[in-house]
Amino acid sequence: MTNPMPAPEVEHSDPLDDTREKDESMPREASSIELKGLRKQFGKDTVALDGVDLTIDAGEFFTLLGPSGCGKTTLLRILAGLEEPDAGKLLIGGKDVTDIPPHRRSVNTVFQSYALFPHLSVRDNLAFGLRMRGESSAERERKVAQVADFIQLGSLVERRVDQLSGGQRQRIALARALVCEPNVLLLDEPLSALDAGLRGQLQVELQRIQKRLGMTFVFVTHDQDEAMVMSDRIAVLDSGIIQQVGTPSEVYEHPVNAFVARFMGHDNLFAIQRSADNWVDTELGRLQLDPAQQRSEQQGWLLIRPETLELGGEVPAGYNRLEGTVKERLYRGSRIEYRLEVNGVTLMAVASNVGQRLHAVGDRVTVSFCPEDLVRVAA
Amino acid sequence: MRKRTLQRGLTTFWWATIFFLYLPLVVVMLFSFNASNSAANFTGFSLRWYTRLLGNEQIISAFWNSLVLASVSSVVALAIGSLIGYGMYRHRHRKLGWLIVLIYLPIVLPDIVFGISEMAFFVSIHRYTGLFQPGLGTMIIAHVTFQIPFVALIVYSRLVGLDATLFEAAKDLYATPFKRAVHFLMPTLKPALISAFFLSFTLSIDDFVISFFTAGPESATLPIYIWGAIKKGVSPEINAIATLMIGAVAIAAVFSLMFNRQGRH
Repeated sequence: MTNPMPAPEVEHSDPLDDTREKDESMPREASSIELKGLRKQFGKDTVALDGVDLTIDAGEFFTLLGPSGCGKTTLLRILAGLEEPDAGKLLIGGKDVTDIPPHRRSVNTVFQSYALFPHLSVRDNLAFGLRMRGESSAERERKVAQVADFIQLGSLVERRVDQLSGGQRQRIALARALVCEPNVLLLDEPLSALDAGLRGQLQVELQRIQKRLGMTFVFVTHDQDEAMVMSDRIAVLDSGIIQQVGTPSEVYEHPVNAFVARFMGHDNLFAIQRSADNWVDTELGRLQLDPAQQRSEQQGWLLIRPETLELGGEVPAGYNRLEGTVKERLYRGSRIEYRLEVNGVTLMAVASNVGQRLHAVGDRVTVSFCPEDLVRVAA
Repeated sequence: MRKRTLQRGLTTFWWATIFFLYLPLVVVMLFSFNASNSAANFTGFSLRWYTRLLGNEQIISAFWNSLVLASVSSVVALAIGSLIGYGMYRHRHRKLGWLIVLIYLPIVLPDIVFGISEMAFFVSIHRYTGLFQPGLGTMIIAHVTFQIPFVALIVYSRLVGLDATLFEAAKDLYATPFKRAVHFLMPTLKPALISAFFLSFTLSIDDFVISFFTAGPESATLPIYIWGAIKKGVSPEINAIATLMIGAVAIAAVFSLMFNRQGRH
């Protein structure tokens, strides 16, 4: 097997600096994943996965996103082989692995609890997979040194696991999986136990590592911001069903239904009462739509993204225009969030903090927005 | 003010407990070094009772019986008990609560009931089959029976205290079932197993009641010998045996605690 990690000799700059070119010394054995009609039920009436069809491309950073109990962790566990599906097929790299036990799959997992072996040193933890696979001790030593260097924790290899901080454990858990050069790497909410600052830093780091290694990453999270920052594509799950698969911008800007919209953090959803090609009636009143992005659903919801709203100022021709009152103002530093009341309905608006006059609570404001920014969402 | 009185009361209680717990042991140990055979006056330091022990064939034989009984029963109990403990862990989500109670039962059952039942059992089997002649063999079986629950519980509680995803991590990292046992389960359980062994050993050395009912004429252990000898009065020789036993059990107990703690980092 070729070496997945850059050789130490070429490691003269920040190994996590992705301005360098993708390392060609690594195996391009990243595998695609195909799920066909996967079903999984726990007990009599808990359906964890209800017929999942999904294709994940080789070398993709793919995120399974959803609330707890949506089936995302079950799906990941089926990929790892730790759970058997009741029905359906799982193909990794084109091969049917549905019945292959976990220890014979070229898939490794970074567990939420890290699952580092407490009876082993960091070095022996890192070497565990290689050792179980029967690689020689010289080979193990070389690869462990390389991966420890790669994640910049070479100084920790002699430590005991209980002497590591949370962030260090997280990286060791990642390294323990990476060193095995799997075709697919699975990550089960690996950052959820870390504090916000470290989490942000590791999000960037993970994404860089994935891009440099070109490995297929399947990442599970319930945090939509994390999913958007890191992923090439996202699958949003709810009640064991994939609601939508798309790039972060597709899922955020064009959610297919109200669940996805709410889960992506959208508050401004208004039931459509009546509609035509170029307008809809909602509680806010009649709003102009862009006829070009007409969708088949006549009923459903209208999504107004708070950052597309313009408060005060001139209303350009063709824009929608509403009058509202500021009910609440949240100062967030880089942006200001307003809770407005328009025709007795709450409308959220976000303005960048770029020096314009802040609106005070109680102010009457004109709200304007472009018809093209309105999105119809299925119920 | 009242708080201080309470604290003083508790301190007194603590020292009283320690006093009644350990003073008798200290007395026994002290008088085992007594020069005269008086149980009331300490007349001077001497090792004569210890040297006399070595010349007493009955004591030497009882010592060997105790040692063989404790070692063999502990090893057997360790093997069976740890398998039961692992089984309890693996099937902990099943509704088998009553089965667990069955395993706990020997712990709470009075020794005398346990001893008499074992005796009746062995005697009746012996009558019909000729097997289970009372002796070291029956004693080992009886001891294994009461040691198993302790071993099973120590192993079970160690396993329950582990992060369950460690088992999955081992699978995920290419370990076959056999390699998981060798490279993950055994090293992880090692402190618990050592601790369970020493606890079993201590329980066996300590036991009188169950040994008494299951022993044969040739298989007297130290406690049985002491019980027989004491009918003729407490001799300083008994004090010497007791002192040696206190030492042995204390060492085993310390080992047991030490390894159990080591496993709980």
